[in-house]
Amino acid sequence: MDPAGRIDSGIILSVRVFTRMLISSDVAGRSVVAAARRVLTSPWLRPLNDADALDGLLALANPLWSVRALRAEVVRVIDETPDTRTFVLRPSWRWDGFVAGQHVCVEVEIEGVRHQRTYSLSSRPDEPTIAVTVKRHPGGRVSNFLHDAVRPGHVLGLSRASGRFVLGDPPPRLLMLSAGSGITPVMSILRDLHARRRATDVVLVHSCRTPEDAIFRHELAAHSRDWPRLRLAFVFTGETGRLDRERLVRLVPDWAERTSLLCGPAPFMEMVRGMWREAGVDGRLRCESFTGPITAGVSGAETARVKCARSGAVFQAARDRPLLVEAERSGLRPRHGCRMGICHTCLCRKVSGTVENLLTGAVSSEPDTMIQICVSAARSDLTLAL
Amino acid sequence: MASTALRLSRSDVDAIKVELDALRAEIAADLGARDAQHIHRMIRLAQLSAIAGRTLLMFGIDPLSWGVGVTALATAKILENMEIGHNVMHGQYDWMNDPALCSQTYEWDIVCDGDQWRHSHNILHHTHTNIVGRDRDVGYGFLRVSEAQPWRPHHLFQPAVSALLALLFQWGVGLHDLELDEWLRGNRSRAEVRARLTPFLRKAARQVFKDYVLFPALALGNAPRVLAGNVAANLVRNVWSYVVIFCGHFPDGVRTYTADETRDETRGDWYVRQILGSCNIEGGPALDVLSGHLSHQIEHHLFPDLPASRYPEIAPRVRELCARYGLAYNTGTLWGQFTTVVRRIVRFALPVAVRPVFA
Repeated sequence: MDPAGRIDSGIILSVRVFTRMLISSDVAGRSVVAAARRVLTSPWLRPLNDADALDGLLALANPLWSVRALRAEVVRVIDETPDTRTFVLRPSWRWDGFVAGQHVCVEVEIEGVRHQRTYSLSSRPDEPTIAVTVKRHPGGRVSNFLHDAVRPGHVLGLSRASGRFVLGDPPPRLLMLSAGSGITPVMSILRDLHARRRATDVVLVHSCRTPEDAIFRHELAAHSRDWPRLRLAFVFTGETGRLDRERLVRLVPDWAERTSLLCGPAPFMEMVRGMWREAGVDGRLRCESFTGPITAGVSGAETARVKCARSGAVFQAARDRPLLVEAERSGLRPRHGCRMGICHTCLCRKVSGTVENLLTGAVSSEPDTMIQICVSAARSDLTLAL
Repeated sequence: MASTALRLSRSDVDAIKVELDALRAEIAADLGARDAQHIHRMIRLAQLSAIAGRTLLMFGIDPLSWGVGVTALATAKILENMEIGHNVMHGQYDWMNDPALCSQTYEWDIVCDGDQWRHSHNILHHTHTNIVGRDRDVGYGFLRVSEAQPWRPHHLFQPAVSALLALLFQWGVGLHDLELDEWLRGNRSRAEVRARLTPFLRKAARQVFKDYVLFPALALGNAPRVLAGNVAANLVRNVWSYVVIFCGHFPDGVRTYTADETRDETRGDWYVRQILGSCNIEGGPALDVLSGHLSHQIEHHLFPDLPASRYPEIAPRVRELCARYGLAYNTGTLWGQFTTVVRRIVRFALPVAVRPVFA
């Protein structure tokens, strides 16, 4: 081997050794951090390390301060349309950012009860504040509370951002399809692209009832003036009927060649998905489903289908018999105690669906609520955390 | 069979059920911000009281600050055990959907493991209240508090045993679900006892470590003072909770049941049994909070999962219902009720039935 080659291999070797050292020191460092964390959160140190207690006491000083919970203060409320408002939030120091198109879980306390709802972020990721845009749903507890009771200064609970409805590297040609409040994640992506002056050719097809219902229409119009590569196509269903395939083809003749993003109510999404699937280009379509409270009613003697999220089991439940009894009939053995609704041993998280309390007749259709399965019967198909 | 239950007709029992269900529904529908505020205020009070107590014990040097520190720490433990822990673990605040107040995961500041408490108290005691042989809270497996329990020679010692239990009450509560008496009688295998022993030992070790090792060690030179203060605070909490709990089901006039009597029980019968098997203590709001509202044991047994702070407002209505149906509503002052408890413990220590059984 010639001297230069020896030097080369020497350099390669030392780089390798150095990298190995870095990695092992990183691993060691991480295990030290993990060990420290284990010690700090050890039950043996309670109550010194009681995070709930510490959070409660910190909140007495400043509602945003917390060692565990992530919270955000409402700094501005913007009227977008007669039934839609944007809430601009300043998150606490624990917030670690988001990618345009992702969503967060927002927690509010209404009459002593905590409620959570997932909303797409509509703001640009590089701003110090974040925003969710919320449409008022008739009968919707959280959306109405946000509209009626939440003003600047209100502190909300927040989760970290999550979701895979993101763009990644901007494609040369992009089609965005949204309907109603499904525009919120799309708007975040659009604002991000606009701010970064990407050379992407964008068509936004947005469907809503009337021009007044078009969320962000002034900002979109302004963007389309100073960004020639953005083309807007609004479909007002109150004037011209629902968007159908022919209309979409006329609006965007090259739809099949574009990378496409889709977000809106279920029928709208089904129409678009079917069209892409039939053309064999559904690989280019990315979707964010957008579910409101769906309560498929069970009528008469029908049974409901109950899915168990943890075990994967599925069983049928009659609407006049307790879920505990029905689960046991199909061979499951959920934890339980008194079987008469007093001891709360059978308490179980209802992920979605509607149940009726057989003792009180109270009906619950809130997602993510705790129910007593020994006295609750299914009123719709359910998902339980069993 | 006691006469009270016989006097009630089936339709009376059904009517009682309808009335009490309606009362429950009315309160449940009214739960809201006021109840959330109450429990949060109690939690904050218990935490601040604990911080004040431990700080005074750790940094004080004089006897006065020691006494105040012990009082504050004992108050914190009493509030946490009775007004917060016991009530949260009953599911009284599950409706708030707050993970920190979830009945199935809450763990309290006492040597009794939360899961074992949920079993022995929420399921056995509250479902089978005062059924001799089913409800292990009738004498806790070693005290004789009712004619229905057969006399054994060891009952002769029960006045002394129960005084000792008062001092060590948290250990009695902790050992309760191990059912050691059943093991001694040969009704439990060693493996069953061992399976229940592990969670108890783990919880007890943590509690002992916290109060008798960790906090004294943090006080450095003041360690003996902190150790003595923690022992005293635990003693105060033990004696107080013993008094409150013994006044709940053991005073004179309380009914016990046999398994046969309750075989075909309806929800209405269950309500009646809860009323006749429980006793209230009269006092003000301070007694209510410091007893975790077990001063309203009758209302608690009717509605164990309604927030306890609502019991005082429903008590007059329950009392009125009892008067209407001729049901005994057993209530008295703390002193009056406790005197009858002591009398009963002494009386039943002896084999002779003081009241003739053939009357």
